[in-house]
Order: sequence, then structure tokens, then C-alpha cells
Amino acid sequence: MNPNDDAGHGPPGVSRRGVLGGGAAVAVAVPLLATGAEATPVADPASADLVTVKVKVNGKPVSVQVDPRVTLLDTLREGLELTGTKKGCDRGQCGACTVHVDGRRVLSCLTLAATVNEREITTIEGLARGDRLHPMQQAFIERDGLQCGFCTPGQIMSAVGMVHEGHANSDDEIRERMSGNICRCSCYPFIVEAIRDAQKVMR
Amino acid sequence: MTVSPLGRDIDRVDGRAKVTGAARYSADYPASDPTSKMAHAYLVTSTIARGSISAMDTAAAQNAPGVIGVYSPFNKLGLRPMPGIGENYAPLEDTQVRFRGQIIAMVVAESSRQARDAAGLITTTYDEQQPRTSLADEPRVPAAGPPGQPPPSATVLAPGVDSIEAALAASDVVVEATFHQPMQHAVAMEPHAVLAEWNSDRTQLTLYSGAQLPHLGAMAAAGRLGVPPTAVRLISPYVGGGFGSRVMPWYDAALAAAAARQLNRPVRLVLAREQVFTVVGHRSAIDQTIKLGASRDGVLNAVSHVTDASMPFVGYRHMQPAVDTSAVLYKTPNLSIDQRHVMLDVPPTCAMRAPTEAPGSFALETAMDELAIATGIDPVELRLRNYATAVPGTGLRWSSKHLDECYRVGARRFGWSARRAEPRSRVDGHWLVGMGMATAIYPGSRRPEPIQARVQLFDDDTAVVSSATADTGTGALTMLAITGAHELGIPLRRVTPELGDTALPPGAPSVASAGTSTTVPAVESAANAAIAELVTVAITSPRSPWHGANREDLTYEKGKLHGKGRSMSFGRLLTTVGRRNVEATVTAQPGPEATQYRYHSFGAHFCEVRVNRYTGEPRVTRFTTVVDIGRVVNAQATRSQIVGGVIFGIGHALLEDNPLELDTGRLAASNMADYMVPVNADIPDLDVHWLDRPDPVINNLGARGVGELGTVGSAAAVGNAIYNATGIRVRNLPITLDKLL
Repeated sequence: MNPNDDAGHGPPGVSRRGVLGGGAAVAVAVPLLATGAEATPVADPASADLVTVKVKVNGKPVSVQVDPRVTLLDTLREGLELTGTKKGCDRGQCGACTVHVDGRRVLSCLTLAATVNEREITTIEGLARGDRLHPMQQAFIERDGLQCGFCTPGQIMSAVGMVHEGHANSDDEIRERMSGNICRCSCYPFIVEAIRDAQKVMR
Repeated sequence: MTVSPLGRDIDRVDGRAKVTGAARYSADYPASDPTSKMAHAYLVTSTIARGSISAMDTAAAQNAPGVIGVYSPFNKLGLRPMPGIGENYAPLEDTQVRFRGQIIAMVVAESSRQARDAAGLITTTYDEQQPRTSLADEPRVPAAGPPGQPPPSATVLAPGVDSIEAALAASDVVVEATFHQPMQHAVAMEPHAVLAEWNSDRTQLTLYSGAQLPHLGAMAAAGRLGVPPTAVRLISPYVGGGFGSRVMPWYDAALAAAAARQLNRPVRLVLAREQVFTVVGHRSAIDQTIKLGASRDGVLNAVSHVTDASMPFVGYRHMQPAVDTSAVLYKTPNLSIDQRHVMLDVPPTCAMRAPTEAPGSFALETAMDELAIATGIDPVELRLRNYATAVPGTGLRWSSKHLDECYRVGARRFGWSARRAEPRSRVDGHWLVGMGMATAIYPGSRRPEPIQARVQLFDDDTAVVSSATADTGTGALTMLAITGAHELGIPLRRVTPELGDTALPPGAPSVASAGTSTTVPAVESAANAAIAELVTVAITSPRSPWHGANREDLTYEKGKLHGKGRSMSFGRLLTTVGRRNVEATVTAQPGPEATQYRYHSFGAHFCEVRVNRYTGEPRVTRFTTVVDIGRVVNAQATRSQIVGGVIFGIGHALLEDNPLELDTGRLAASNMADYMVPVNADIPDLDVHWLDRPDPVINNLGARGVGELGTVGSAAAVGNAIYNATGIRVRNLPITLDKLL
């Protein structure tokens, strides 16, 4: 993540201190996060130390108040109810939580929500165009690049990101660069086939 | 013209939901009533392996932001153990610590992070005892399973032979080898999770929780909570991986439900990944000794297989690695199996893909490779020389067995004839290249218990096929749709399958690779019964054109009734008579054929490895698997199951290990970086093939099981290839590079 996106360097009006001063007066476009939100009595002042993050999520501008310690993954799942992004390990080992930040694949469990201010987030829910699946989604279905489906959102987001990085030029390269996404059902050969197929359509 | 989808490459019917993020897994459900605010639970686990809790300070946790409940042995939830189901104690009900990582407290708060933060504020004081942890040193007991399971030890001797030792001593060539396999974990991608919701008067509970046996999950939760089984509904349409870890219900659901009942709020409990390693069971560590006695031309005279598996004091999975491997695979006049347990203070065990067959086959199939070397006979030829046509010690024959064809087809596809028997004889740059093979065998029988399926025919010419089995990624949902479309003779798109909900008729357990073979006959019967019901409507409804006709006048074919010179689709008929639908629910169970034959699926694995001459790094570079599984219902899902099974075995061979620290009873690996499973870069393209040999006995379609077969023998094939490459025999899994230097 870009260090300049730390909460303290956000756009005017949403600095960390500003939020503290404004408290509950800060307008939100979406439901608040559970942490410290709503009428919960707050004994520890630190947990009221919220920052406002304005982001585009799947093309829609949203503004959320977040505890600066909360991850992008928890923000998506619990704050924005975008549960397509999965928590498999919560420590950057499995890849199930992969999303795009400004088009780059990142592990949302290792990304603090406060660091994505003014960024564009794409999750698995935002990949299709209406009813038309993204070529990668279609290829995963046709090649059976999934079984239980739990790692699949992360696999697909990672695969799309990798193709855009321009590093999917051979099966070996695909295997290497998809190795941050674990699939315990072990669909690996079919994931490689799906990426090979989708890449042709994406070009 | 409707072409049956049976046996074709059919995309998963839930594929779209899974690739768009729409599929809801257990932790994805919101509270069903938006006005009832969900609370979040987090577990605290023990940091000693044996002893008792003398004190627990929960004051800071109780006063932490957002906390609404702290439960512990000092503030119990009143759960009851269910004898025979899973662990033999209920968490939080006493102060005893039975293994390291046991649930000792649960915090409930307004948010998941508040619950987690508060859990970290709890301090526990223990009276600690030395845990019993040594598989090598603790006493052995017979590995007796529940009633109905095979006995843990059995010996078959030829006439005039006094003992298995005597038979071995009389053999020309004897191979003896001891193998060790460490504790292994399913590591399903979805951490275990549950949302528990009671109705307003707290008499009816709904659980959203991934389960391989939905009805068992509901029943276990009911028993642990002290409510009638009818009071619990479990909803589990999407399951983020099973591999055995969601067979037996753990205590997460009952704990969340008990807290939800006390707090009068929906409660979600999600296990942290590190908690999954101990709260959820693992596969036992196993030591095995195999002795093979044979003639100089490789014909077996004696097979002895002794196993010692770790068995937790808390239960539950009995391990019998020889029963479906050494006891059935090869023809031998003298056979002895002895399977024992070693009781330890370790977390619970459970089934894990090919629970006993995977370790058993690693030992047997590695020993067979050693016998091939000792006798100078090609490993494929050795197996053909000892081919069994009846189960050793019994006259029982198999319902269908074409393993010899698997060997021959596999050898040809793989290019086995290019193998050089002499180890280290193929070098390619920095790499030593080797080839190995092994046999796969896995029980293929239908489940013995009765299961149900329901078929509904609707007035818009669609059908719904329902049976509460589970789809853990196996493709069971698609299998239901395919079978329904095949039996009804209608297009797949007009069939809606339903599973994973105890409100549906109880279906096949998603275990033992028996989901398909068990479900298919039930759907077939239900379809026939629904058609019979349709005929009844046709001949008894005044508005039906066939009103007053005899049943025999009507035939059903491809979605239509025909008779007396006219035809009508079932939807049209139902519309005409003013009915929305007809339906039939049937109960299906195997008949006497179940005990007249033995049922196994078979296969042959062929593996090529490269081992780096300087670093010892082993890489699997080619793999061919040919299987004999009866009729295939969905070619695409079958391929995925075989490939997934083989890769599981490659993981066992090369990567998976959770060492137990003997002094503390601590499992060394508690995350997905320390407990390594295969990743994409570890796996080459795999060549899989199945024989087109429908089973003539098991069910009308001739479909046996496939889900676990690929995991049996694949680790041995890798190890045998590594021996061929390096001349180093590793009998202690996993085969890591340090063992090859």
C-alpha cells in the first residue's frame, strides 16, 4: 500500500483528528461498522478513535467510519456486507481474501481499511457486468477450476490481477504467480487451464 | 430430443453462485431478522495439555468494550456430551484440561473484534500434569471400533501353518519395513463457523453451519443443548471443504446456540485458523510395520501388517489402516493384521480423506516396491502376479474389479516401459529422475443406512430433486440434478436440486466416497414414484384426458405421458387438471446384495519425480492415474475429484506434517504457513483416466465412489519414484529434502 494513504494524510475534512472532533456527526453513506458504532457504550476511548474512509467499492462511492486497526477484509465483510471475499486464515497465508485496490491484487486481511482512503476497491461481487460474467469467472466454471468454492473469489481476483500484471505468459509462470492462493480441494491444474482460456478473451 | 446429461462434462449447477461471491458459507449469513442484532463469539483455548484450571480471571474481559457474555467452567453453558458422537466431554462444563488447544472459555460481544480483544484479556491459572504424548512409548490397546466395524486384528493361515511368523520364516524372500506418518489436518479452506438463531420463544433453533452430515449436526446440537431433535434445523447448502473435518459435529454449534439462548440474540462463532487445528479433529499419527514373505519369483506367501495409531483420550476416530489395504489387496495364503491404539493427551482425531486407507496404502505399497527390488521383478508385474480375485480368507468376490486393466492402461499412458529399475540411473542436468507406481483401493459400497430422496414435478414442466446430503465441493448438487434429469428424461436446466438443509428429506452422508452411489438409487426410486403419482392423477382427475383409463394404458417417457393415441407433458397435464405439482418421497437402502459381494473402487498411480542432486528438493513432474469406479455420473466432477485426491496424496508425501512437542503436548503447526499443503507451483498437469466399466451390482446405474480413491496409494507412488531417482528409501513422511541429502 502507498504510505501516503495513511489516515492522517487523507483529504481535507476527514483527518483522524477531524473525525474525532466530529464524532457521530460525520455523515455515512453506508451502515457503520460494528466496532464502536451505534449506541454501544464505549469504556475505552481508543475504540472510539474512528477514521473516515472514502472509497469506491465496485464502482460505488462509499464512506465508512472505521477503527484504524480494522482490516479491509473485516470492513468489506462486516461493514459493507460484501461477504464474497473470504477469510481463510486472516494472516496472509491462504489468499482467499484477495481483492483489487486500484486494479492491483492485495490481501485484504493484511490491509488496514484506513489505508485505502480515496482508492478504488474491486471485490468478487464487482467483477461481472450485470448478468455477464467476467471471462475469468466463466472460464473457472467451464474448466471446473473450483470445487467447494471457498477459495474461488480469491483465486479469481488473483488471476485477473495476475493477467493484468502481464505475467501469465506460460503455465509455469501462472503456477508460480498463483501460488499465494491455496485451494485445498486442489483444483490447481484446472485453475491453470481456466486462466489460460480467460487470458485469450481478456486481451 | 433430450440427451441425458449422465456421464457428460457438466458444469457445476452452483458454479455461478461460487464464482460471483453469491454463495453463502456459514460465516456469511446475516441475522434472518434484521431487527435482531447479531452478537459475535470468540473462543479461548488451553495452553497446557493435561491438568486442570485452578482459576480464571475474566474481570477485564467482562468490562471490555462491547462484551455481553463470558462463559467458562466458572460460568457454564450447561452443554451435555453425546455418547458415541465426537468428543467424550462437553467444553466449559468442568475444569479438566484434556489437550492443548481445548476450548476453556468463550467471549460474546457486539463485534467480532471486541470479542477477540476481550478474549485476550482472560488469564488462566492451571494445575499442570505431564501429558502423555509419545506414540512410541505409551501402552498399546486394540484399535476396536464401534459395533459393526471389522475386528482390529485377524489372522488367516494356510493349512498346516502355525503362525504368521512361521509363514514368513518359510518364505524365500522377506521384506520388513516400518513406516511413520505424522498427524495430518484436513485444512478445509473455510474455518469452522456457525450462526445460531432461536425463534422468539426460544423453542426452535436454526443453525447455519457447514456439515457433511446435516442431520447428524442438528441431532448432535439438540442432544448437547437438551432439546428435542425436531427443535433444530441445520442449513448448510455451501460447505467450504470437508475432507472429514465436517463429519462429526464439533462443539462450535452447541456453544454458539447455548449463548444465543441465554442472550436471546443470534450468535455467530467463527474459529480462528489456529483454533481449527485443535478444536477440530486431525488424522492420527501412525506407526506401521509391514512384513512380506514371497517366493523368489515374487508370489506372496505371507503378509503381516501391524499398526499403532495415536488415539486421543477425548476420542473419537478409531484407526484401522490394514482393513481395506493389506487385508484385501493381494492374494496370499497367510495374512495377519494387528491394529492398535496408543492413548495420548492430544486434540480429537477424525476422519480425513481416505482416513485409514491413505496411511495403510503408503505402508503396503511402499513395502511392495521394496519386494519388487528384492526379487528383481517389475513393480507392475509383481502386483499382477499377486492379483486377488477373491478376498483373502473368504470366498467373497468383488461386485466388479478391473484393477489389472488399470495397471496396463496406466503403464501404457505413462510410458512405464521407459523406466530403468536401477536407482539413480537417469540424470537430467541437476536433476535425478525417477519413476514409481502404486495401487489405489477404496471401499465402494453404498451406505448401509436408509436415506431419502424426494422428486416433485411441477405444472411448468420443471422438477425439484431434494435429498439432504451435502456438497462439500464434490459436485453432489450437480449429481442430484443430473440424476433427476436422467431418470425423468428432461433437460438438466428444468431440474432444481436441493440439499444441505435438515428441512429436506434426510440424504446420504457425504462420507466414505458413498454420496453418489447411495443417492443415485434413491433419486431413481423417487422419480419412478413421482411418475406413478402422475399416472394416478392422470387416470383419476375428471379433467384429465385419461380420466377413467387403466394405469397400463399409460407410459411415461422423456417428460411426457403417452397413451390411447395422445401425449401430454407432465406440466401440461398438471395444468389441465389444476394441480401445481405431484411429488413422491422414498426411502432407499441396499438389499441382500450388500453382503453378497465386496465393493471396492480401484486404481493405479504412476509418478515421475525429479530430485535435485545438490539440494535434495523433490518435485513431482508427471502423474498418471487410471481408475475403475463403475459408471461416471459427471465426467467433469469425476476428473476434479480424482485430481484433487491425487494432489492430497502428493501433499502427504512431500509436505504435510504437524510435529507434536512431547514435553508440552503442543502441536507445532497452527497456521497455513507452518502446516504446508500443496500450492499451484507444486503440481504438474495430471493425466487421469477412468475405465468405462459400470458396476453390475451396486445400483442400477452402476456408479461406485471416487472422492477418496486418488488419495490412496498416491503418496507411495511418489515415494517409490523418489527411491528410483535417488536410491534413498524414506519411510518417514513427509519426504522432505533433508531426508534426501
